[in-house]
Amino acid sequence: MPALDNFFLIALPYLAVVICLVGSYYRIKTRPMTYSALSSQFLESKGLMWGSLPWHIGIITIIAAHFIAFLVPGLWQALLSNQTVLLFVEAAGLGLSLLCLFGLAALLLRRFTSEKVQSVTSQMDLVVLLVLLLQVALGAHIAVSLSWGALWSVGTTVPYLWSLLSFTPDLSMVQDLPLAVKAHIVLAWVLILLVPFSRLIHMFAVPLEYIGRPWQNVVWVSDRRKEAAPQAFVEGEARRYFVKGGLAAVFGLSLLSVGVFDKIFRFFFGPRLTAHQETELMTTRLSRLEATSSQRKLELERQENDYILVGSLAELNSERGKYFIDYTMMPALAFKTAEGLPLLISAKCTHLGCTVGADAVDGKILCPCHISYFSIDTGMPNADSPAKTPLPHLGWVLMDTRGNQLVSYSGKGAVKGTLSEAQRASARVYIAKAHQIG
Amino acid sequence: MDVRAQVSMVFHLDKCIGCHTCSIACKNVWTDRAGAEYMWWNNVETKPGTGFPTLWEDQNHYKGGWTWKAKGNGKGRLQLRSQNKFDSFIKLFYNPNQPGLEDYYEPWTYKYQDLFDAPEGDDQPTAIPISQITGEPMDINAGPNWDDDLSGSPLYAENDLNLDALSEEEREQLFEIERLSMMYLPRICNHCANPSCVASCPSGALYKRGEDGIVLIDQEICKGWRACVAACPYKKIYYNWKTGKSEKCILCYPKLETGQIPNCFHSCVGRIRYLGVLLYDADRVAEAMQVPDHALVESQRSVILNPFDQAVIEAAKASGISEEFLYAAQNSPVYKYVMDWKVALPLHIEYRTMPMLFYVPPLLPVMGKLENGIYEHKSEAFFSTLEKSRLPIKFLAKLFAAGNESQVEAAVRKLMAVRYYRRSVDMDDIDVVEISKVMREGKTTPKEADEIYALTAIPTIDQRFVLPPIQREEVIGGGHCSPEACKGCTGLGTPVAIERGP
Ligand code: HEM
Ligand code: SF4
Ligand code: SF4
Ligand code: FES
Repeated sequence: MPALDNFFLIALPYLAVVICLVGSYYRIKTRPMTYSALSSQFLESKGLMWGSLPWHIGIITIIAAHFIAFLVPGLWQALLSNQTVLLFVEAAGLGLSLLCLFGLAALLLRRFTSEKVQSVTSQMDLVVLLVLLLQVALGAHIAVSLSWGALWSVGTTVPYLWSLLSFTPDLSMVQDLPLAVKAHIVLAWVLILLVPFSRLIHMFAVPLEYIGRPWQNVVWVSDRRKEAAPQAFVEGEARRYFVKGGLAAVFGLSLLSVGVFDKIFRFFFGPRLTAHQETELMTTRLSRLEATSSQRKLELERQENDYILVGSLAELNSERGKYFIDYTMMPALAFKTAEGLPLLISAKCTHLGCTVGADAVDGKILCPCHISYFSIDTGMPNADSPAKTPLPHLGWVLMDTRGNQLVSYSGKGAVKGTLSEAQRASARVYIAKAHQIG
Repeated sequence: MDVRAQVSMVFHLDKCIGCHTCSIACKNVWTDRAGAEYMWWNNVETKPGTGFPTLWEDQNHYKGGWTWKAKGNGKGRLQLRSQNKFDSFIKLFYNPNQPGLEDYYEPWTYKYQDLFDAPEGDDQPTAIPISQITGEPMDINAGPNWDDDLSGSPLYAENDLNLDALSEEEREQLFEIERLSMMYLPRICNHCANPSCVASCPSGALYKRGEDGIVLIDQEICKGWRACVAACPYKKIYYNWKTGKSEKCILCYPKLETGQIPNCFHSCVGRIRYLGVLLYDADRVAEAMQVPDHALVESQRSVILNPFDQAVIEAAKASGISEEFLYAAQNSPVYKYVMDWKVALPLHIEYRTMPMLFYVPPLLPVMGKLENGIYEHKSEAFFSTLEKSRLPIKFLAKLFAAGNESQVEAAVRKLMAVRYYRRSVDMDDIDVVEISKVMREGKTTPKEADEIYALTAIPTIDQRFVLPPIQREEVIGGGHCSPEACKGCTGLGTPVAIERGP
């Protein structure tokens, strides 16, 4: 099944949308005479009224609702958090789908009964009407059998669509949906796929520009007007462009305001918590605060110690550093020098602060973020590294198991004290608070 | 002042013999195609009659043209009767005002092949009529000229809406069988200056050409929403059921652009048609159409500009009108009929689209008075005929002057005066005093009467059609653009396939 799912729910959508967009563009540009609503009202009027009006009013409202849920799921959910609204939306959805079914039935009936309409009916017309009938019937079936679709879709199909849109297809939300829902989704992609090959292309022709257009439309064929009366010509043209630009701006702004309105709406009308939920929320917040504070306490405790253990001297080596956390809560690395003494170096890259890797190759450690090599002996970065300042060395103290200081190094200057072979085996490396100051 | 040129037309109805040659000349060239069989960009109607499509003048039903109601401050707003900007969207899905096939007729042909293929039998094979839409056999019960020549009875004629103006008594008189009278009304698109078809098109596919005012539908932009079919009050836009796009009279612009005369004009047997340029002030059109009905004819004339006026000439040049167009405007036969003589009137100006096709009302049914089988042409009858006219002035006024009888009367009187005057010149059988009385009554002079006579009765083809050079040459010849580069904009482009979508 996953292979099928992948094909129908991931490959098909991309295929359908690309073919729909490219195909429609190609058809509109190269075969403009086929770009028409192909009205058959002239040949048969009454049946069309009973079919086309209910069908279009129903389907356009339903598609608009699908779009709103997809575009502003937050707002949609907030709206539906109100029981009455939810009930209304569910009832309206079902009612509209029945309206669509009625319309489709009337449209099909007239396609089959009117001889005149038949003479302009293509096979594709019938395919489209039948697929639409199936699709709307599935929708109505889902509305009845799996109620509250308006709500559950926000957590299932909407994230699925967004995952497709963001090119990170994720089927986890829809995989386990009932077959009817999956079929509804797949048929939607099939319909989109059909657009350039059928009369469905008329959807792109919605003449919104009519709202703002001046009544009259004058077209100048020659350049004469432009040359002889540039003022009048430019004014006329400017008006046409202004109307077009204005419409685009209004469309953009309304999209924007839907987004803003979403926030405002949720602020004022968003879900109200019950006392129970509110308590739960506060408890969660409290437990998070507690966790933070206990961590903070631990950090402080650590910082108050005079010494912090890094590890035993024996476990250190010169190739692979041991990570530890210093007094400033920053990462650092512990190596062993050729003389068998500890070498502690900050692991916080001096470029942008990534943690430097622990492997020393030829005595150099690498910050993987932007490839800075640092010498562990001197702390100096390579000449061509993005990091320019050296990693500082840290001071350390060697102690025996009973806590007697054997050798110490303050980070600068010379190493104080010596170490016998016997002590070497059991010595432990610490960093000292004393070395931090300054 | 935004001066625009308009290629406009005059149809002299006294000369129309109702032969339909014009319709055929048009059909053979432009609408002899699948989907367009039922279209008659040019049609000739008998009046009184119901016309084509049936009762097209019934705007309560078809909702064509503009409406205007005077507001308190004297100004109102022109509104499309068929739709506003918002309900136009609902009407995309189903347009309640769109005429259907049954309002025109179902186009048919005959199954001629049967004449050859029919098996041997007792009867002669016949070619039965078949529908050009379904290809199935059909009964013919309507046609584009079903009530031509009154169809032998007043059955159809009685339904003519323009008879509403008449009283019951007048109607009875009109339909007295011995008196029954009729006239022909050839109609093409009026290429209106305030076209409601253009205003109604949701896609903006309809446009008026700036240079010559021809109203066209861009077939590539048209989406078949059919708003224009409803909005044109003259029903001169036809929906092509095959291509799913609307079509209309194109005033044979490809012919005009090559210096030829449009088909219906050129072929007209009665030579009733005149074509010439009018200049008008585009800024004032909408305003001029916002006056009460009875003032509309005068208001339209006030927008038409005198091409000899120096100020108009200056303004025309500033608006981009070429010398050649100006010259054509100064020699325009249309200007003479409409503005100088005021005998040509617009059809149904109350639709307020400002039609640019004008009709000289017919005289014969007005003055002809059958007494003992003889038409009355005596001058004593002059002052009484208008009242006694067979086709009531009221009826003509409904057609040509939005009900303003004085406009029609003035035109008819002048035409009659010309007739009496010319008769006296040719036959010398009318008293001079009598003639001068008639001339005064007709508000004309011998000079003007001679001019009217010359342009009406004995014009040459160059006087009837004063064509301006239209822009194709201008665009190509102007040197702005080589023919190759300008193929599209000069109408020479690669044609797109005329095909129906899947
Ligand atoms: C977006 C706005 C839309 C507009 C303006 C529009 C307009 C039209 C028009 C004018 C017709 C021709 C009706 C006639 O025969 O006179 C039509 C037919 C049709 N439309 Fe739409 N439509 C729209 C959206 C849709 C949508 C979203 C769908 C389906 C998803 C759709 C499906 C159909 C179908 C199937 C027909 C053919 C009906 C028949 O059998 O005759 N339309 N539409
Ligand atoms: S007569 Fe011609 S220009 Fe006028 S409204 Fe009708 S189609 Fe348009
Ligand atoms: S061709 Fe001329 S005379 Fe004949 S019907 Fe047409 S307009 Fe009238
Ligand atoms: S942060 Fe280490 S190289 Fe940029």
